[in-house]
Amino acid sequence: MKSRSKKLVALFATVAMTASLLAGCGGGNAPAATDTPAATDGAAATDDAAATDDAAATDDAAATDDAAATDDAAATDDAAAGTATAGDTNSTPRNETLYFAGQQWGTINDWNPFSTNSNNPMCVQQKDSSRTLIYETMFMFNMLDGELYPLLGTEWSWDDDTLTSMTVKLNTDAHFSDGTALTANDVAYTWDANVKYESSLGMDFSNYIESITAVDDATVSIKCKLDDAGNPANPLKVQQLLQQMYVMQKAYLEKVEARNNSEKEAMKLDKMEDLVASGPYLPFFDDDQKIVFIRDENYWGQAASMWGKLPAPKYVAHVIYADNNAGQVALEAGDVDVCQQFTTDVQKLWEEKNLPITTYIDEPPYGECATMPSCWMNVEKPGLDQVEVRKAIAMATDYDQIIASAMSNQSPTFTQVPRSMMNPTDAEQGLFDHDALKELQFTGNDIEGANALLDEAGIVDSDGDGIREYNGTPLSFKAECPDGWTDWMASLEIVASSAKKIGIDIQTFFPDTNTFYDDITTGNFEICMNSPSGSSISNPWGRCMQFLSSLYADLEVNWSGNWSQYRNDEADEILAKIPLETDEATLKEYYTRLNEIYLTDVPSFALMYRPELFYIVNESVWTGYPMKDDGTNIPPTDCTDGYGIAALYNLTLVE
Amino acid sequence: MKNTLRQVFHSPKFVIGFVIFAALLLTTIIYPLVVAADPLEMVGNGNFFKPGTYVSVKDSVEGTHYTLNIDVKSGSLDSKISAEDKESMKEWLTKFGGVAEADINLEDVEGLIGLWEANYSESADQPGLTASRKKYFARLNKNIDGILADSDLILARENPDTGELEESATIGSNEFVNTKDVANRRTFILGTDNFGRDVLTELVDATKTSLRVGLIAGVVATIVGLFLGLISGYVGGVVDDLIMFITNLFTVIPSFVLLILISYSVGQNARGVNLVAIIIGLTSWTWTTRSVRSQVISLRNRDHVNLSKLSGHSMMRIVLTDILPYLASYVVMAFILQISSGILAEAQLSMLGLGPSTSTTATLGLMMNWATLYAAPLNGSWWAYFPVVITIALIAFSLNLMNTGLDQVFNPQLRD
Repeated sequence: MKSRSKKLVALFATVAMTASLLAGCGGGNAPAATDTPAATDGAAATDDAAATDDAAATDDAAATDDAAATDDAAATDDAAAGTATAGDTNSTPRNETLYFAGQQWGTINDWNPFSTNSNNPMCVQQKDSSRTLIYETMFMFNMLDGELYPLLGTEWSWDDDTLTSMTVKLNTDAHFSDGTALTANDVAYTWDANVKYESSLGMDFSNYIESITAVDDATVSIKCKLDDAGNPANPLKVQQLLQQMYVMQKAYLEKVEARNNSEKEAMKLDKMEDLVASGPYLPFFDDDQKIVFIRDENYWGQAASMWGKLPAPKYVAHVIYADNNAGQVALEAGDVDVCQQFTTDVQKLWEEKNLPITTYIDEPPYGECATMPSCWMNVEKPGLDQVEVRKAIAMATDYDQIIASAMSNQSPTFTQVPRSMMNPTDAEQGLFDHDALKELQFTGNDIEGANALLDEAGIVDSDGDGIREYNGTPLSFKAECPDGWTDWMASLEIVASSAKKIGIDIQTFFPDTNTFYDDITTGNFEICMNSPSGSSISNPWGRCMQFLSSLYADLEVNWSGNWSQYRNDEADEILAKIPLETDEATLKEYYTRLNEIYLTDVPSFALMYRPELFYIVNESVWTGYPMKDDGTNIPPTDCTDGYGIAALYNLTLVE
Repeated sequence: MKNTLRQVFHSPKFVIGFVIFAALLLTTIIYPLVVAADPLEMVGNGNFFKPGTYVSVKDSVEGTHYTLNIDVKSGSLDSKISAEDKESMKEWLTKFGGVAEADINLEDVEGLIGLWEANYSESADQPGLTASRKKYFARLNKNIDGILADSDLILARENPDTGELEESATIGSNEFVNTKDVANRRTFILGTDNFGRDVLTELVDATKTSLRVGLIAGVVATIVGLFLGLISGYVGGVVDDLIMFITNLFTVIPSFVLLILISYSVGQNARGVNLVAIIIGLTSWTWTTRSVRSQVISLRNRDHVNLSKLSGHSMMRIVLTDILPYLASYVVMAFILQISSGILAEAQLSMLGLGPSTSTTATLGLMMNWATLYAAPLNGSWWAYFPVVITIALIAFSLNLMNTGLDQVFNPQLRD
């Protein structure tokens, strides 16, 4: 009897142990699995977001014992990537290849502009400055002067002063990689497909655009949606489409539709590996180690009406690095030419290590800052619904420390560029009355001022635990940003330590990227950090919308902006008027008033300025990269985005 | 007892380990008494300031000056222009400056600088030169600009009324300050970290936290392990089976995976130092249980235990007086190892970002985590991570040494 029960126990134990082992394995893998899709959040995650996201991957390496581990990991990853490059048959000559880092993390999913999850930023990136290596837009945006430059289109104009319809002329030289001409029909068909299959671009712009039709082969007509009063819904958004929408081939789209039976979901999941596009490069090779594009020798842009020549590098390659450190090691070794990564103390690369590396500007902030990662406070949470509390947190935060340490000086300070909703480019800074805002522009680290403000509002620490109470509840908030986004994490730590000094308890919380986006898009957070949009033809209006518009606050799932859920009728009214206004003085008045509202109510506050793309170049193989004040007027968008792609035509080999 | 202690302190291994450990412990107690600064204060406005003494520039300019007869010019010339710089200057001058190679003498630094100042122009056409090289020459030019001029440096103040600059002092090249005279100075023996915090102060505080984590984790793990081991070994039967079943479960699942999962589910809000320590303790008791159990099994049939049983002593009393003393030496050694592994576990957890929060505590793992995130090993900021690694190594080394020393004393097979 006894021995039988023992056997039973033993059997039970074995089963239970096996089960728990399996459970253990499952648990262990789970975090890793959630990390991967994080990097690919097409809709909202910007590249640099993805760039920092990889640090989640560093964690895996860090799980091994000591500090040397990451260093080693970086080195071995690099070596692994190196041998793979040497080993595969697709290795390309170094002096014909331009190597990138910091754009692509993980294996690509597809080549499909309709897809919501391509994880293929080198190819598919339709945003303010679209990436036009493979697919092309009608116009290219230049963030330096805020102008649109011709690409597939040659010129655009409103048909009349009501701004209800627009005519775009296409370049008659333009053709696809299979040799067929690119016509207005392709543009119209692409638009219809975007709307029909509800791509994120189609969903967004169909609110403002009624239809796009071909007038003749080289002429496109765009009709705006009209509101009840007969005014166009938003002319700015219509202009934005010109720089954002990839033009695809009608015949190819029909082929893809045929094989997917025109089903919406199937269309979005199609890999499009057999793509036909109009850009200067075509896919050449890709696996989990690297991605290579090859130049299309028949590229239409070599016509005199466009570039007049082919881009200099025959190949464009992106090795997939494990993390920022691995990318940095490769950059220092000269294995990477253009690096889109946040790099601590970047000046040390040339000042101390004497490497042939440089950035757009030789001194801080080293790049052209166009966006401003901000701290958003959920005004629907008790405590944060009090403007004094929000303002006190904003006043107490030590921005100089954030910029100097978290951002490693790669941002102008708020004394150099006083805060507003405008980015630090001259184009936007000229759009409001600086003197009118002077009183409101807090510069940070004002502990006394913040304390006085709270005391005056009667929000005091009544139970002596060092934390102030509002309505009897201690002011304690959770501030979140995705794990691994180093500079953001450090920024929030500094916000928390400043808030501690004024008796507000802020705890940092770094979930994985998916959880973070779930939280902010559904309003399930107290304080979070996120970037508004950078430079585009519709900014700064678009960015003001993101800071203040109640339209976004009403959304059930909000990817668009105003995560603070702030509402202000006056702001809404002004925001509605701006797109229709063309008089500069009135615009200036509107923008000044909006900034007044923003700086008085502080629904969010910028923590730093930041380049949309980091841009560090190693000149050991290629030179001729755009630099500030070199007279080329090419923006430092990594030689790939918007008008920045013009840089590829100026590159030369180092002698 | 006295005898045992004497024996223990005669073991050289134990003594070395003990001295190192005591030194670390004393430092964490004494250092904060001497340096009162908040270890989490962000002093430096930037990343990774080098170790050294920082004196206020304004104070040193305004303070007492001493004239020293030292040839300062050549000193500063050498520090500002390296041999490599000289070669580069020569290259530029011959290529773009129109100077004949024969006219350049690298030995004559002043002559070279003279030529440079006469011929260099940032805006000159420099075909074939990369942007980084052009910028290098521009920086070099800025660096040596006015280096030869013997004129004094003039300090001026802005008149608040007129807005004009009024000369307030001049500084000659031979004027020096004694750093002791400068009131505002701060020494960072180990530089600053990525937040601009003083690494040494932070390190001492972090060591204290880590020792606390280790101690709590060790106590928890030892108590749980000892309790379960004693019961399981002494009682036997179903209780033994059950406890060993649970123990095996915990042994089979890698405790670090368990640790990560628990820490993750607890969330950052609740994750204070003590909780992290307790979590670590609760995942690392299994080996103590197993060893204690096996020793108890061999002990429970000894004559003196049987005698106690016959005398009608309670189980509690038998375990505490007849069994535990025979295990004591082992338990102490296991406890020491638990402390050591607890400290390492905390460091690993914090490096994953699953430890205590940065703005409230400093721990060794957090320091390493941030140093890695800000690429300290890549940009040569050794002071941000190397002392941390050494400290962790020293703690683990000293504890293990003490353990080996004890083993030699208590284990008859190892006794000399």
